[in-house]
Amino acid sequence: MLEMKGITKRFPGVIANYRVDFDVYPGEVHTLLGENGAGKSTLMKVLYGLYPADEGTVLVDGAEVVLESPNDAIEHGIGMVHQHFMLVPTLTVAENVSLGLKSSRGFLTDLAAVSQKIDELSSQYGLDIDPSAYIWQLSVGERQRVEIIKALYRDARILILDEPTAVLTPQEVDQLFVTLRKLTDDGRGLIFISHKLHEVLALSTRITVLRLGEVTGQIPVEGATRESLATMMVGRSVKLKPDKLPSEPGEVELDISDLTVMGDRGLVAIDNLSLEVRRGEILGIAGVSGNGQRELAETIAGLRKAESGSITVGGVDVTGAHPKTVRKAGLAYVPEERMREGAIAGFNVWENLLLIDHGSKDFLRRGLFDFGAITDYAQGLVEAFDVRTPSIDTPCGSLSGGNIQKVIMARELSSSPTVLVASQPTRGVDIGAAEYIHRRLIDKRNVLTDAEFIQAKLIEHRNACTAILMISEDLDEVFGLADRIAVLYEGRIMDIVDPDTATREQVGLLMAGVEPETN
Amino acid sequence: MKNVTTKMAILFAVVALIAAACSSSDDSGSDDGGFRVAVVAPSASNDLAFTQSIVDALNKLESDGVVSEVAVTDGTFVVDDAAVAIRDYASDGYDLVIAHGSQYGGPLQEIAPDFPETSFAWGTSADTFGLDNVYSYEAASDEGGRVMGIMAAALSQTNTVGIVGPIEVGDAKLYVDGFKAGVLVQNPSADVPVNYIDSFSDVALASEAASSLIGAGADVLSGTAQMVVGAVGVAKTDGVLWFGTQANQTSLAPEIVVASQVYHWEGILEEMVTNVKDGKLGGELYVINFANDGLVIEYNDGFDLPDDVRQLGDDAVARFKSEG
Amino acid sequence: MSEVFTVAVLVAVVASAIRLAVPLLLASLGETFGQRSGVLNLGVDGIMLLGAFTGYYAVLKTGNVWVGLLAGLVIGLFLGLASAVIAVTLKAEQGISGIGIYLFGLGMSDLLFQKLVGTPIPIDTFPQVDVPILSSIPYIGEMFFQHSMVIYLAFAAVPLAMFVINRTTFGMNIRAVGEYPEAADTLGVSVAGVRYATQLIGGSLAGGAGAVLAISLGIFQQNLTNGAGFIAIALVYFGAWRPMGVMAGALLFGFINALVLELKTLEIIPRDLSNLAAMAPAIITILVLAFAAGRFKAPAALTKPFTRGK
Repeated sequence: MLEMKGITKRFPGVIANYRVDFDVYPGEVHTLLGENGAGKSTLMKVLYGLYPADEGTVLVDGAEVVLESPNDAIEHGIGMVHQHFMLVPTLTVAENVSLGLKSSRGFLTDLAAVSQKIDELSSQYGLDIDPSAYIWQLSVGERQRVEIIKALYRDARILILDEPTAVLTPQEVDQLFVTLRKLTDDGRGLIFISHKLHEVLALSTRITVLRLGEVTGQIPVEGATRESLATMMVGRSVKLKPDKLPSEPGEVELDISDLTVMGDRGLVAIDNLSLEVRRGEILGIAGVSGNGQRELAETIAGLRKAESGSITVGGVDVTGAHPKTVRKAGLAYVPEERMREGAIAGFNVWENLLLIDHGSKDFLRRGLFDFGAITDYAQGLVEAFDVRTPSIDTPCGSLSGGNIQKVIMARELSSSPTVLVASQPTRGVDIGAAEYIHRRLIDKRNVLTDAEFIQAKLIEHRNACTAILMISEDLDEVFGLADRIAVLYEGRIMDIVDPDTATREQVGLLMAGVEPETN
Repeated sequence: MKNVTTKMAILFAVVALIAAACSSSDDSGSDDGGFRVAVVAPSASNDLAFTQSIVDALNKLESDGVVSEVAVTDGTFVVDDAAVAIRDYASDGYDLVIAHGSQYGGPLQEIAPDFPETSFAWGTSADTFGLDNVYSYEAASDEGGRVMGIMAAALSQTNTVGIVGPIEVGDAKLYVDGFKAGVLVQNPSADVPVNYIDSFSDVALASEAASSLIGAGADVLSGTAQMVVGAVGVAKTDGVLWFGTQANQTSLAPEIVVASQVYHWEGILEEMVTNVKDGKLGGELYVINFANDGLVIEYNDGFDLPDDVRQLGDDAVARFKSEG
Repeated sequence: MSEVFTVAVLVAVVASAIRLAVPLLLASLGETFGQRSGVLNLGVDGIMLLGAFTGYYAVLKTGNVWVGLLAGLVIGLFLGLASAVIAVTLKAEQGISGIGIYLFGLGMSDLLFQKLVGTPIPIDTFPQVDVPILSSIPYIGEMFFQHSMVIYLAFAAVPLAMFVINRTTFGMNIRAVGEYPEAADTLGVSVAGVRYATQLIGGSLAGGAGAVLAISLGIFQQNLTNGAGFIAIALVYFGAWRPMGVMAGALLFGFINALVLELKTLEIIPRDLSNLAAMAPAIITILVLAFAAGRFKAPAALTKPFTRGK
């Protein structure tokens, strides 16, 4: 029903798509797989009329079509569920759905009729939603359902789903898949974009893999394995689960007790939470975003005020302390918003590496920057952390997300921290880089095993290892890295489980706020 | 970057238009050895008020051959803009630069010492900052106010005469106080509500002030400063009489304007010019009044003013003239 | 002064407040449309000034106040188009480009006045239209029903604006484009089209507001609006981007001004405090703004130009 032939899309200096062929048959789920920057989103934006293609043709039902705007795409029965929901928060569900459509009442809105049709679609596909609710009142999962209804309302026969599971709990993912199967049963064609391999394998009919803008393979789901797909994506074999030695937890280095913190809207974000992280272990915080992760990390880092409770880092009480004091106590912090809080886009690589230590006498000569020392230092970190940058004078803003994250990791870990708080360390980082960052986290914990980090300075100044608190919404990451998993729900720790014995389902229920069974 | 260039081009075009619009200066720029005068004033040259009075006077001097060139920058209600214009005229070698607005005192005090060869005049004010290249000038506008206040009291049936003022300073305060005193001389039991609207430019507020005064019973109004044009309109609509000042306001409402106090600066300006030509660049205060013919009451010929009231006015003027 | 607060005084103050409020109300309603769609036009005062001059000049030449009002609306429409080109198509920084429009209107209106008219000549004003029956109600009639037709029209525009914003597809598009233009774009709503439309509405209402001001006063002079356009923009924030709120703000502003004037006429405010009283409208506006600021959110995309695919 859909054919894209020889699509090429160039941006200044980059070829995002090169002669890509892609097609969809009725009733199938055709997955588009690839690392970030592989060109999946660009291809879909071309299909949805958001970008014009430089070369190539698009055929719908065998006839060539011109897609110059989303309107054209909608007219040809193409719908899209965007990764960042395209919903106006201050409008109701019905208003969002009817936006851009001709009203049956002329220039007046016809929300009653729209609501009725939404109800019909809801019951047909199990997309339970209240048409009169405002978007801002809805949960992430509900918003996604509105996105799907929006496309169905426009009679979309081809539906693009851009990373639809990224923001969902495992249970919500299951529910979504049920809906999607109903859609394919109706003869609709789905384009599914994801990099979560187990989901891809569970849902797809066919899989097309993109790497660096080109198709590297198109295979039916039968016979595909996670390893084979990963190899096609990255172009070499990838270890999906990092190797790690059993942890040997030492003393408590980060101790949080009875912490209560308010969120931006003045509601309780962290509710009487207690946690301890020992040296030599990684404590993973799992949970759906918006359950207090950001507030927790910010409060530890001294960026947010605690209402009550206490935080100690390396035995020093840092409750309510200035971020500088917290750092002095031995905390390193990799923030969630790496472009906004972690690095300064306009600063180049060495400036970002020096953000914290620029006052250190190692880098100063007669009060001025000693560029010789700085270059050596920055060059060393760039190599040690495999930052792929043309030079240390390149502005960070022009690097990829993964490389920016490596710059931040390099800076934070170089200060020999007692405690490291890492928020979403690999979100939006492609798998190659993610793999690397995972390895670093584990290396850091077992300092002695990594030759690159056995440097005189580190050994001399530290006789202990780092306690790491890792906050992540990616269950793969949490299960792969953490020594213990704490599940955060509405600002409280639901339970702490052992990743070697716990199941994903068990953690998923905790993430949804279901109390653990006591037996 | 092309986009930015476009935006800059538009911005410059706009700025250029503003520059053209704001300074309707007509300086020829040539120094032919004649006497060149420049004036910087806050409102429009034809505001039928404060600014027009000085521009008319300078134009008269020019046509009389006393000065060879008159340059005008009007509408500089922003003091910083006026400061730039004053400095520019001084740099351009004008012989006399007039800062026509009491709000221009601050900048003038800074600029004048930088141009010791140039003569400056500042009005309306009595202060020359002790600088010997600054003249100051003011109008005894209380004299005309008093004369017209006497007539207003005689014309009022309701024994209420209202006054719309701008901000209670300088020339405006002098006029309002004189007018009020005049009313009370003629009719000690009269009500004289005064409404200072605290703005020289808010025409709408001046109109509402006039409405408010009429509501309080006034059947004769007066007012000073350029924002009173709105108040004159209200007076006309409500059939209330009006006394004007600073320029002849008859044309605004021929039906109800009784008389206007008009400033004739040409007498003292001519003296100033003569002094500057003789090498005395400042340090003196000039005041226009009835005695030196700097103040004149101009009656509206179209208004049927009772003879006895006219006589009261003429008598009061005569008293000022004889007192000197 | 013997008489202090009589009913007659209150009636006069309210009537005066309504007159003072109307130009602000019209300009502010227009700016509400623009801001709801995500465009801040700081040039409102400049558009008002050119509308005021054009309206004044048209009445001067034709003697017909309605021709004057129409002229103001039309010139405002053109300036709204210019604002839209600058803010929407060229994606200029809205905080700066609006000031350019303001300065253009300020300078141009004065230049045209000097060249075409010169000495101020009074023009006809809008005739008073007493609403049948209602105007004869004691006090109420004088306060609310003995005004000119434009005043009734301006207040009638408030429910009309509410209706358009809340009940029509066009209004829904405006709200969507002002909050999340990317979302509207993906559904085929023309972000630029909606924003052009709101700039045209805003421009013509600002031009009309200027014409109403000049024709109500029966005169034009340099900077006639005395910054009313900027007050109008503040009132949009004050009114939390809602027509009713904007109207309440315009009336409050007019009422405080009228009340202060009346208190001065009655010499209730000591002369020494008169300066302080003159600041009252500004102070109260700031206080209410500060109070209201946290409670209502501005359109999320306000002042942000839209580029597809970013």
